[in-house]
Amino acid sequence: MSESERAGEKTGGEPVACHECDALQCLPLLGRGQIARCHVCHAKLLRVPRGGLDRPIALFSAALILLLVANSLPFMTLDIQGRRAITTIFGASQALYEAGMGGLALAVFLTSIAVPALLILSSLYVLLDIRFALSLPGVRVALSWISHLQPWGMLDVFMLGVLVAFVKLGDTARMHVGVALIAYAGLIVLSAAASAAFEPGYLWRRLRRQRARRAR
Amino acid sequence: MRARDFQLASCRTCGLLQRLPATRGHCPRCGSTVRLRKLDSVQLTWTFLLTAAIAYLPANLYPVMTVVSLGRTQSDTIISGVYYLLLHGDWPLALIVFVASVLVPLVKIVALTYLLLSVQRRSPLRRAQRTRLYRLIELVGRWSMVDIFVVALLAALVHAGALASIQPGTGAVAFTVVVILSMLAALSFDPRLIWDHEEDYDIAARGS
Repeated sequence: MSESERAGEKTGGEPVACHECDALQCLPLLGRGQIARCHVCHAKLLRVPRGGLDRPIALFSAALILLLVANSLPFMTLDIQGRRAITTIFGASQALYEAGMGGLALAVFLTSIAVPALLILSSLYVLLDIRFALSLPGVRVALSWISHLQPWGMLDVFMLGVLVAFVKLGDTARMHVGVALIAYAGLIVLSAAASAAFEPGYLWRRLRRQRARRAR
Repeated sequence: MRARDFQLASCRTCGLLQRLPATRGHCPRCGSTVRLRKLDSVQLTWTFLLTAAIAYLPANLYPVMTVVSLGRTQSDTIISGVYYLLLHGDWPLALIVFVASVLVPLVKIVALTYLLLSVQRRSPLRRAQRTRLYRLIELVGRWSMVDIFVVALLAALVHAGALASIQPGTGAVAFTVVVILSMLAALSFDPRLIWDHEEDYDIAARGS
């Protein structure tokens, strides 16, 4: 497949219905970095990300490494009157569980660790499958997950929570930033960039074309 | 022209436009179930929304955490947490937390109620603006979780310090219920309903 063919992605003329207002329309021909919007309600119809598949693969791989660092090293260290407290990200949900708030602990664990990790792993899985034509099992399921799980991954919200916690403990204790917190800040930047380079609608099209070619 | 008039629907998961054999079908591209409209959208959204609205009261009245330090006990609600930040001169952060945990849930509940009522009354007014409102609601809801993360982090740090203890309160549970249910309410609302019955109004307008 030539580079121009890959960039144009043959979206021109394809009929679509807007998922927000149900208006029938044909997609214009999209180049990289371009977005097609609904002519009635201006909802996003399709975006062809810049950088093809290599950029999101690189960004998600880096994000995966930072995710491992952020979750395995101390997150914050606290000095209160000569005593030292160290916590990890997992420590936050653990503390809720130990306080007898199991459901709350589960909600925090899912949104701050499990869903972000699942999103990064399954995005990499799908991207690598399409990039290297591996035809791995479960790619369709993984790509379906990604579209539905996205609002439940709350890395950025958790970071805001860290800021607020810093301020609240600021005058009763000395806080030290752990390595994991720096990794976590990087992780947020990286995963935002990675999601910007990752468009499920575009990947579904590539996936279908790949399967169609193989069937021929 | 609208997809529904031709028995067409786009898949919610992958976006593929397809003709449905009945009110539902299976997407040939991604394998998920495709419907003309989200299943029981109005009823489900009302259910989630009303439960969230009920939980909103205990979420704001009960303390989200209780701090026990050197024999002193102090309970914090969502509002008093914002007030604390304000007293410490951190007004940008106080504003963010106020918007995220007080304003957003409230606006979300009011806005979704308005959207549901307007859909049930088949209102033809300001469809584009209502769709934009929905888009906004869908986007901001998750930020309300910030206060829960704060409580979890404080509990983890202070607990490990063993000098004081922070006990998460009933308010935190109720608040999480509000956030999760209002997110589910936004997800189960189908914005295409805002645009339905457009033709009925056109015909009615021509007839008069």
